[in-house]
Amino acid sequence: MKSIKILHMYADMLDLYGDGGNMEIMKYRCAKRGIECQVDSYSINSPKPDFSSYDLIYIGGGADLEQQHISEDLMKCREGIMKAYKSGTFQFLICGGYQLMGKFYRDADGNEIKGLGLFDYHTVAPSSRKLRCIGNIVIRAELDGKSVDIVGFENHGGQTKGVKTPFGKVLCGNGNCASSEFEGYFEKNVIATYLHGPCLSKNPEVSDYMISYCVNRGASEKITLQPLDDKLENDCRKVMLDRLLK
Amino acid sequence: MKRLQILIGKIIVKLLRLMHRNAGNLPGIVLWHLSRHKAVSMFKVDCPIIAITGTNGKTSVTNCIAQLFEKSGKKLIINREGNNLDTGICSLLLRHCDMKGRVKADLLVLETDESHVPVVYSQLKLDTLVVLNFFRDQLDRNGEMETLIQKINGFCKTFEGNLILNGNDPNTARLGKANPKNKNVKYFTAERYQFATDTIFEASEGRFCPFCGETLTYDYYQYSHIGKFRCPKCGFGDYTPYITASSIDLEKPVFTADGHAYSPRLNSIYNVYNMTAVAAVAKLYNIDQKITDEVISKYTVKNGRMENFMLGDRKATLNLAKNPVGANMTLRVMNEMNGEKELLFVLNDNVADGLDVSWIWDINFSIFERVTRVVTSGTRAYDIAVRIKCSGYDPAKIVVKPDLDEAVEELARTEGRKFVIANYTAVQPTRSALKRYSEKHGGGSK
Repeated sequence: MKSIKILHMYADMLDLYGDGGNMEIMKYRCAKRGIECQVDSYSINSPKPDFSSYDLIYIGGGADLEQQHISEDLMKCREGIMKAYKSGTFQFLICGGYQLMGKFYRDADGNEIKGLGLFDYHTVAPSSRKLRCIGNIVIRAELDGKSVDIVGFENHGGQTKGVKTPFGKVLCGNGNCASSEFEGYFEKNVIATYLHGPCLSKNPEVSDYMISYCVNRGASEKITLQPLDDKLENDCRKVMLDRLLK
Repeated sequence: MKRLQILIGKIIVKLLRLMHRNAGNLPGIVLWHLSRHKAVSMFKVDCPIIAITGTNGKTSVTNCIAQLFEKSGKKLIINREGNNLDTGICSLLLRHCDMKGRVKADLLVLETDESHVPVVYSQLKLDTLVVLNFFRDQLDRNGEMETLIQKINGFCKTFEGNLILNGNDPNTARLGKANPKNKNVKYFTAERYQFATDTIFEASEGRFCPFCGETLTYDYYQYSHIGKFRCPKCGFGDYTPYITASSIDLEKPVFTADGHAYSPRLNSIYNVYNMTAVAAVAKLYNIDQKITDEVISKYTVKNGRMENFMLGDRKATLNLAKNPVGANMTLRVMNEMNGEKELLFVLNDNVADGLDVSWIWDINFSIFERVTRVVTSGTRAYDIAVRIKCSGYDPAKIVVKPDLDEAVEELARTEGRKFVIANYTAVQPTRSALKRYSEKHGGGSK
């Protein structure tokens, strides 16, 4: 039986907006296919795990206060995470997790929180806390050569700049900055995005892209995932696409 | 100028009344604009004001506190319909003031939205503020929890009146330290009840000490992050409660507070906390014990809060759940009941609900016991269906019916006990749909 190992970082602190649901969905979609999916948690002051032993590292979004709490701890994990990323561990990053992997995050009061610097974008929050990008969002991304419309909910003050390889093109909503053309950050083994909802709930292709990536790491032959009955998920997305794009 | 503004406001109230419209908010909005956002300061209030705020339970507690005083023969002004923003409170005062803006009453009891506490009570002198709890609620509207608590904390820094706080909610109890000079801080708490747990059961906010950042330790969790907590580093949480509910037995249901036994009608731990807050106010204002007994033992709720309906010969219980805590509580009540049952979940994403429905992923559906079928409805019927499916529930037993009447028909098609959960804007349409079914097929509101 194939198995994948996920490290869910700061699950107890960064679990705003139902982002914990993403792990429930990953487990669910793996279980349906007989793939063992082990999700370990790591939080502040836990012993440092061997980051490279994981197929995927997941960090969700949190309130500003919690984000400050973890940034210090995250810096201590820098080398381990960097090494894992370079050796092919998938990085799945939502909102705060997305921001913290960049060069820095400057909050509304001008305080700079150092990012991990895995990627060379940075994020600046507008000085007024009232200016936030909030609402339903649709982006068009390309996953394994296929165009996919992804629906989620964005809620962020931070404006992320300097992204060279975005996750998707914004069809409705704001994206990386207010009214921007693109959303998120993407590499073959990185999906970083502002999409909550949780992100995977209506977009099975995104979950499957990551599961497929993970099970194929080091596989001698390409493993194709067994298709699942996604009628509810697809109907769910269709309702939103019809509402937002028509 | 002030008189003119009040006159205009009063005329609008009269006109709306003549048109048989509810003057709940509109006059206040007009006055708010006319007065450059200082509408509440138009009024002169000489009597004491009691305000009730918090995420869950405001309406219940406000009504009970009002009854304490009404039964004591006081003349009250109260926003019973829950128009709890500054504009709503302004409309209420407009209806009760004279042309000089003087408000005549013995007491004002005002349910107040969490985010509006500072703005309203920087303009009106407050005698007592009751804070029930802070949970995740409509995050995209209220902003993150911390911002909200900071706002109220800022107000509490200079507040010297009575502050009645839920001592088992760290998010609320921390307000007690905002103004070290305030000698009138009082905590209400509840001892462990039969379904309390040793570890946290549901997603929650505030796991860290707001003063030193240390992880809080808990003797027990009643629900969500409500429980007996303490900071092992700085001692936050060490205080003598003003009043404590003990000997809680939800089967009967009974509880004891201040050595006095109460028999409420509602059998939830929420209600115990709400009624303990009511008992705290009664104690503070020396209400006759007989009156307090009567209020607490008779209090029951309509308007979709554990409201029963008969669908033909099938009993259905409807409960409002506008956040995960509310939904988790309903699921617990449902689970604690023997026998098979079916659930209808109605989920809307209108502006008043908060446009973001991801909070449903913080509901713990994996605890489902003897739930034989689920029907989903509302503008986000599919979202809740996907959520329940991914918790491991058999998708073949989930029926999606976005149309409410069809959903109720579907629910009532089979025999057995029914539960209905609806979020904020879904509650009234759901009640209506349940009533329509009863009118057509027999049954009714019970």
